[in-house]
Amino acid sequence: MEPRSLVRPAVAVALVAFAFLFIPSIFSLYYVNAWTQVAIWSIVTLGLGVLVGRVGMVSLGQGAVLAMGAWVAARILFATGLPYPVVLLASGLITMVLGTLVGLPALRMSGLYLALITLMLAGAITIVLQNIQFPNGGHGFTGYNGATVHIPPIRRPSIATTDPAFFRYSVIVAVLMFVLVLVHLRGRPGRAWAAIRQSEAAALAGGINTTLYKLWAFALASFITGVAGGLVAGFYHYLNSLTFATSDSITLLAVVLMGGAYSMTGAVVAAFLLKFLQQLLNDWGVSPDWLTILFGIGVLQVLTTAPRGIVEQMPKDIARLARLVRGLFSRPASPQEHES
Amino acid sequence: MPSTTDLEQFLITGLSLGGVYALSGVGMVVLYRATGVLYLAFGAVGAMGALISWQLSHQDGWNIWLSFVAAILFGGLITLVYGMIFGPALAGRDPLVKATATLGLLLILLGVMDLLWPSSGGASRALTIPTDNNTFQVGQISVTYTNVIALALGLLITIVTAAFLRFTKLGTAMRAMANDREITAALGVPVRRVEAAAWFGCGVLSGAAGVLLADLVALDSTSLTFLVIFTLAAALIARLRSIVVTFFAALVIGVIDAEITPINKISNYRDMTPFVLAVIALLVLNRRRVITVGRQGV
Amino acid sequence: MRGTHHRTLRVRLGFVLAAVLAAVLVAACGSSSSSSSSSASSTSSSSAPASSSTSSTTAASTGTASSNTSSCGPKPGVKATGTPINIGTIDTKQPGTDFSDGPNMINAWFSCVNANGGVNGHPMKLFVQYDQTQPAQIAAAAKQLIQTDHVVAIDGVFDLLECTIDQSYWKSLGIYEMGAGIAPECWSTPNSAAVNMGPRYSSDGAVQYGLSQHPSKIVFVQSNVPGTQYIAAGPTALAKAANVPITALTANVPIQDANSLALNLVNSAGSNGWVVLNFTPPEALVILQAAQKLGLEDRVKGWGCSTPCNTDFLAAALGPKWNHKLFVNAELTSPDDHNGPEMQLYKNILHQYGSAVAGGLGSFSEMGYLLGKFLTDALQKVQGPYTMASVNAAIKGIKDEKTELLCQPWVYGDYPLHIPNNADFTTTPDNGKMVTAQGCFNVSSDDPQIAAYRSAAGTAPSTNPPTG
Repeated sequence: MEPRSLVRPAVAVALVAFAFLFIPSIFSLYYVNAWTQVAIWSIVTLGLGVLVGRVGMVSLGQGAVLAMGAWVAARILFATGLPYPVVLLASGLITMVLGTLVGLPALRMSGLYLALITLMLAGAITIVLQNIQFPNGGHGFTGYNGATVHIPPIRRPSIATTDPAFFRYSVIVAVLMFVLVLVHLRGRPGRAWAAIRQSEAAALAGGINTTLYKLWAFALASFITGVAGGLVAGFYHYLNSLTFATSDSITLLAVVLMGGAYSMTGAVVAAFLLKFLQQLLNDWGVSPDWLTILFGIGVLQVLTTAPRGIVEQMPKDIARLARLVRGLFSRPASPQEHES
Repeated sequence: MPSTTDLEQFLITGLSLGGVYALSGVGMVVLYRATGVLYLAFGAVGAMGALISWQLSHQDGWNIWLSFVAAILFGGLITLVYGMIFGPALAGRDPLVKATATLGLLLILLGVMDLLWPSSGGASRALTIPTDNNTFQVGQISVTYTNVIALALGLLITIVTAAFLRFTKLGTAMRAMANDREITAALGVPVRRVEAAAWFGCGVLSGAAGVLLADLVALDSTSLTFLVIFTLAAALIARLRSIVVTFFAALVIGVIDAEITPINKISNYRDMTPFVLAVIALLVLNRRRVITVGRQGV
Repeated sequence: MRGTHHRTLRVRLGFVLAAVLAAVLVAACGSSSSSSSSSASSTSSSSAPASSSTSSTTAASTGTASSNTSSCGPKPGVKATGTPINIGTIDTKQPGTDFSDGPNMINAWFSCVNANGGVNGHPMKLFVQYDQTQPAQIAAAAKQLIQTDHVVAIDGVFDLLECTIDQSYWKSLGIYEMGAGIAPECWSTPNSAAVNMGPRYSSDGAVQYGLSQHPSKIVFVQSNVPGTQYIAAGPTALAKAANVPITALTANVPIQDANSLALNLVNSAGSNGWVVLNFTPPEALVILQAAQKLGLEDRVKGWGCSTPCNTDFLAAALGPKWNHKLFVNAELTSPDDHNGPEMQLYKNILHQYGSAVAGGLGSFSEMGYLLGKFLTDALQKVQGPYTMASVNAAIKGIKDEKTELLCQPWVYGDYPLHIPNNADFTTTPDNGKMVTAQGCFNVSSDDPQIAAYRSAAGTAPSTNPPTG
């Protein structure tokens, strides 16, 4: 293996380790919480990135999947005393089943119809959640008690009750989810997905069971989003239907496109755009509407000029900038240097 | 169970809302057939038009009908500008990409609307079309002329555009372009002008629908923007192809939604109607496998 | 080839972006941002404490000289120069729900006090943390206020969720917060007291007025947000005690089909029924307007609404068909038809120091005024250093705070729950304005929570005479 191909993963590992160890001591509690959100939502953006970037399926309903995962986790956490990792696994698996059931009929659709049907399903799920509400310690299937005056908080893992500790816990879970996805990408599913993205007809002709692998992608994305939902439940302590808005699924797609649906770093960048910037702007007193506008412009920019997102485009832009600067300081260059 | 008089009354309320969904749905389907773009920002453009109309008539003292014209023109212009910049840029791409790009416009407008017309816990804005004051009785309830206009306009647009697309040269050109832009251009059709007409027409419809919806539903940027999802359901049932089916699907959705209202046990689930119907329609009508041929992916 | 095309597109995109930004800036600076420019809150929960501001732009309408605000502080004209007393607050501010008028008014009060002697020479300083209804944000904001900003008290919380999330933290610190609440915990814990009534008790008041008109049925409808059963429990108890059948409904917000909803309400209530709404003003307006367009407003005996509807804007938007047909519970004295010395002071302070209060005269600024005033009144009595302990002891000790803006004196006290605002007015639209339909009355003890509070704290007598 060439030494260069080890550099990028090594840098990634180093950055994550640095974040894990030092973020709680460098940043105030407010920003530690912001970073926790980045860690949690990077799992969600990773899932959507796999769907969009690797398989070519656009889902406009990942926000609803996250809400489902949070609901399931909250229900289990209130109903049982199971250890947190078990709860995360359970909510991931249940969300995976639900997500796959929901995705199954949609898989026969082509790109646009698939996106629209996921939007419709997300809308339906949102209304169901608005009516059954989120568990708040009550009894019965929904675990919701509308008359309660004192709502108990959703518990966190016993080793990670404080905010800094929960940040570290989230980073670990996120790393595990990234590894899971990486294993998929390097293995047979990854190759099948790449073939499907190239041309589904050709993949079929080549003997690949496209339905199975598309389903697998849905299942994987739903699983990790379900696990992220479990983290959200513990992070927020209190869930209600206001926490998950309709527009969330759309902004999620926007940041995934901007960050780059093709790379794993892109998923983290997307989560940073979505969550960290929001907290930053709030701290500075700038309206979050500017962020919405930025995302809108970002979507247009990415789709028209840089389909691979900021992560791939940024190095190219920086390289171009560097060439420009060099050109300013050096003698009139030979014609080759003026290519861009 | 609700009585027959109840059902009749809710039929009327259902038709009135369905009428406006129909208007929006037809607008979106027309544009899709002409340019291959599913204009998801339809609702957002209409919302901003309605807010502009409110600003002009309630704050700046304009005549209300002139402010409606401004709203409609705004819808037309901004859609035209969007279409002229991003239509060609994305012309060769998958319909999914083109639709996703309109989400970008949606987000921009959503942010701008909230910046320009912010909410501070307190008063609210309302847009009233003067025809609200003229009513006639149907049984025990009165129907405003705005409802009639909404329904009639929807019907009119449906008939006119269906005929236009089928029987006129420009309409045929639009249909051809949706299939393959390059070949159509090669055949000598003034593609850019036809496109411009389609975009502008759709934009005008979105402005009109925005004003009507602001009157019939609420003058609120977020709800008007995402109302497009309900409209989309009707368009999906028609598989984004038939304008006439879109029209009737929208009416059916509106009526079923309204009729469920008095059934208290499921009343709050009635907003699922469009989604459920759209999903069923998509699954039933698309029983055969559909594989995208050619360009794939984002 | 593609590259050049993309570059041209980039340039165009850049122009578009610049144009958009320019337009936005011009619009933002150009628009006089009239106070009535607020839009529907699509996601805010039932009955924001913001019972909506009246639509007048500034308090210039009072015509009085704004100079006479010096009575807000103990030493007129003397600037306070000691070490500041840090007060913190957490408020909701997001697209669709913006409660910043509340803390902005408290700041106005503090500015006045600081210019007129301060609190025993100390200026008051307010640290505001805004949140977007994210629980982790709210919890972190609380910690930031205490650990970074070193506030000694929490006053001025106008927030959808805060009472639920922070109450255990405040309890552990011995902090007694003051605010205008929404979540149930704002009235049901020992560490929180509100100047407003909140959705449940205001709905009680609206239903109580309806019951006094002897209808044969009550239909109570509210927005479908968390806590509906808790809110509905009050009106249900009142109706049961009066032996009147009651149907409690919920409606998803934002409301898509107001026509069907209005029709359903009228059919459920019947011709001798009474419909009571508990919604934010935009949603309530939409329902009532739909009822009017369908010609249904006379199909029931009467209509009621909780306190968010108490705004001249609503009265003006509804039109004359609703005169004396809609009866709104009002938790604060209306600045329109009351003009005693304290009301005058409130208006003057708003005019002189309250330029940041977009809504002008109305509930938010009234509540902000009260929250600022009750705090500084309490702190004037502290002897010795201003620590968290001494300040919160003073807050807990607030009693008998008489004010023209409320029906009864406000009290904190050492009780397991706090519902200090439990008597109110009823108003009704009259040709574009809200006028008093009924003077101060106590909310019925048929609501078990009210009964529990009165057994702990007693029933404060009304200090506000009913107006004609």
